[in-house]
Amino acid sequence: QSETLRLSHQWSNKDVRHQVAQIVADEVAAADVDLEIQIFGSKSLFKPREQYRPLSRGQLDMSVLPLSYAGGQQPAYNLTLMPGMVKNHDHAARLSASPFMEALEEKMADDDVMVLVHGYLAGGFVGKDKCITAPEDVKGLQTRAAGKAFEQMLAGAGASIASMASSEIYNAMQTGVLTAANTSSSSFVSYRIYEQVKCYTPAGDVALWFMYQPLLMNKSRFDGLNADQQKALLDASAKAEAYYLEEAKKQDAESEKVFRDAGVEIAQMSSEDFDAWRALAQETSYKAFVADVPDGQQLLDMALAVE
Amino acid sequence: MDPLTLGGIVALATILVLFSGVSVALGLLIVSTGFLMVFDGMRSLELLPEILFGKLDNFALLSIPMFIIMGSSIASTRAGADLYEALERWLTRVPGGLVISNLGACALFAAMSGSSPATCAAIGKMGIPEMRKRGYPDGVAAGSIAAGGTLGILIPPSVTMIVYGIATETSIGRLFLAGVIPGLMLVALFMAWSLYATWRSGDQKLLNSAGYTWKEKFEILPRVLPFLLIIVGVLYAMYGGVATPSETAAVGALLCLIIAMVIYKLWNPRDLWVVLRDSTKESVMILFIIAAAGVFSYMLSSLYITQSIANWIGTLDVNPWVLMGAVNVFLLIAGFFLPPVAVILMAAPILLPIITTAGFDPIWFAVVLTINMEIGLISPPVGLNLYVINGIAPDISLKTILSGSLPFVGCMILAIVLLCLFPGLATWLPDAVMGAAL
Amino acid sequence: MAGSSSAVASQTGNNPFLRFVAALSTVAGWCSAAMIVAAVAITCQMIFVRFVLNGSTVWQTEAVIYLAIGATLIGLPYVQRLRGHVNVDLIPLMLGKRARFVMAICTLTLSIAMVAIMLWYGYEFWHLTFERNWKSDTVWGVRLWIPYLAMPLGFGLFLLQLIADLVAVILKIDAPFGLEDT
Ligand code: NA
Ligand code: NA
Repeated sequence: QSETLRLSHQWSNKDVRHQVAQIVADEVAAADVDLEIQIFGSKSLFKPREQYRPLSRGQLDMSVLPLSYAGGQQPAYNLTLMPGMVKNHDHAARLSASPFMEALEEKMADDDVMVLVHGYLAGGFVGKDKCITAPEDVKGLQTRAAGKAFEQMLAGAGASIASMASSEIYNAMQTGVLTAANTSSSSFVSYRIYEQVKCYTPAGDVALWFMYQPLLMNKSRFDGLNADQQKALLDASAKAEAYYLEEAKKQDAESEKVFRDAGVEIAQMSSEDFDAWRALAQETSYKAFVADVPDGQQLLDMALAVE
Repeated sequence: MDPLTLGGIVALATILVLFSGVSVALGLLIVSTGFLMVFDGMRSLELLPEILFGKLDNFALLSIPMFIIMGSSIASTRAGADLYEALERWLTRVPGGLVISNLGACALFAAMSGSSPATCAAIGKMGIPEMRKRGYPDGVAAGSIAAGGTLGILIPPSVTMIVYGIATETSIGRLFLAGVIPGLMLVALFMAWSLYATWRSGDQKLLNSAGYTWKEKFEILPRVLPFLLIIVGVLYAMYGGVATPSETAAVGALLCLIIAMVIYKLWNPRDLWVVLRDSTKESVMILFIIAAAGVFSYMLSSLYITQSIANWIGTLDVNPWVLMGAVNVFLLIAGFFLPPVAVILMAAPILLPIITTAGFDPIWFAVVLTINMEIGLISPPVGLNLYVINGIAPDISLKTILSGSLPFVGCMILAIVLLCLFPGLATWLPDAVMGAAL
Repeated sequence: MAGSSSAVASQTGNNPFLRFVAALSTVAGWCSAAMIVAAVAITCQMIFVRFVLNGSTVWQTEAVIYLAIGATLIGLPYVQRLRGHVNVDLIPLMLGKRARFVMAICTLTLSIAMVAIMLWYGYEFWHLTFERNWKSDTVWGVRLWIPYLAMPLGFGLFLLQLIADLVAVILKIDAPFGLEDT
């Protein structure tokens, strides 16, 4: 019979993550299998961090969600926002198809959640007064980091961590409450951070900040669909995943262009810088993760094993 | 069912439930729960606590109790009287002296308090008896304070601007600045009307109140200093890189408490408790309405009503100003019955897309919306400021307070018209201080 | 004339149950006020650490948010006792004495049912969080059952105060809607 699925996410309808959801919705509609996907964007249904629990309990059908938001419920998910774990977008795609991701999907299955579209987005650093490439650059800066593991690593590098909502970054940068920040390329652009900073270090050949942001679905809900509907959904997802990967690569270049056009200096992270950050992360965030999660070491090794 | 029809039914049910006398917050929860139960199934109720908790899970909301503490700690001291007396001594040569000082005191006090009833109470306690003693008509005395008190939510800091900023994700610092010039404009309009009303009452000596010597004028100045200290301190914290706007509220609350205790000797635990009790009462009431209105807007969104209304308005081919007129009428009516924060939270998700699609500036709209809410504060049946005046001067009949306030409602409508003609009144200052709008 | 709170709290007469509930609500009010004060203090401490000492402030924002939520939920019964929850009593004012009494019983019963629902699901929500030991996804990693405890606690006390108010109206110790006959 005819089914309607409700999909929630936190982004505007110009965002790539909305477009991924839209492709799936459009493709499924075109398949004509009595399946409709209703998209609730811009946090209009649930707040970002409120989505995982309704999703796992079947009150929400689908969500495009940074998986680490649910790290308080499934600590293993914190591995999906670990500094230096992913080097670039192709590496991210290989990671999505690895035994590491299978292990994570098993954990999701325990919560009755499955992945439809895999995808990683990258991000970088901005400095109000100077460029940030190596760990010593952040010493003494008031920094707002996206993600727990990044806060741990940056604190290890001597930065002062300020926690605030992402919507406050612009003001805080303007008045000087913040002197550095780290988040995704698209957030930097959508919050117009380029108006307030001197230097931007985008994701380039190497980047520290990668966040896994898949399109998830409630598993029981998927299993309850008929075979045609399931096939339409999976086909649509495969198409969306290819698009997601291509767009993710473009995002970094586009954000770089926006910052450059705004007169912001662009810095590049060298592979030596990357190695220094990763060594620091091993001492700080990786260590804390392994101490915190029972099978943490095993999962970490699986992730690091991906070439 | 068609979401638009469903929306009509929800509106009707909401009106019925709220008019039954149940508290606004619980009423909103009751309506939301009822519709969720029927249209989303019993299991959707499992989400209620998480949604309620989530709506309060926002740092900026915390500035609400803090801006309320600022107002009520100062209001519990002699500070209001000092401020008021200083203005009177200095403005004595200005025609209409006393009522002008009252309005000036309201405006200054509004710059220290985020809430309108607090502003109204602080100045009214002193101002209304004094004006009546000197022979001002009851209507002018009560009406000017009721109206002057509403400035509490237009002149920064402002609880409603914070809530609007959260609901629409606009910069709270920018919203605060947008309220400054329209706030001053309203003060001027209020003063002009009060002067006219006093003059019309025929008692010419009211227009020239007693003179003061220069000694008396300078004597009182040190007592106004604490106010300047607080205002400068808060502005420095907010725009000087010390803290974000929402954090600044804590600085303000602390400064006010310290000044109340050190300068005004408010250290008797019993007196301090009165300050805390009043702030807790108002804050909890507002925050609970915010949480409940959040659940209500979840229900509207979950039943696809919000989206359908926005789509429907989008298909209407109307002149943006006709649309703006309709939005204003809607806000006015909602403001008659509901407290400002409830209106903002329930209406913002529906109105904002409409407003921005029609090409209006959300910062400018915040000011228009706030003035609409100010009107609601001095109009029946739910007029928080009327209630405050009633508490201060129980012997002035409600009819007199109302008829005294009505002309000020006229001033506010005039202010909205002026804002529509000259949007720069709201947008110029934030742009000048913080750079062009986002 | 309608509006919020009269300055008068609800009447308890000499009824021991009403006085007990009133006392509980008052204690809840103290806790709520204390949490707000603590939130002010912590925010100022955070600004000091960041602005003056240029240090890290990882836990303050979260702590302050939970304190504010706690203050709101725990403060509900006290504000109810002070009649601080705004309502529109236009219709009750127009009604006669008898009809107003019936109306008050209806709205109070409806309120009690609503708060009971919140208490029930709030308890479940808290219990699940406690059982699975969920934490917030920050460096501080608070065990979430602690802040979520405010939900069953606040709504539980709120329920008691509403029941007390209903009892007071039925026993004619308090006037319906707190409106004295005019
Ligand atoms: Na104000
Ligand atoms: Na009103």
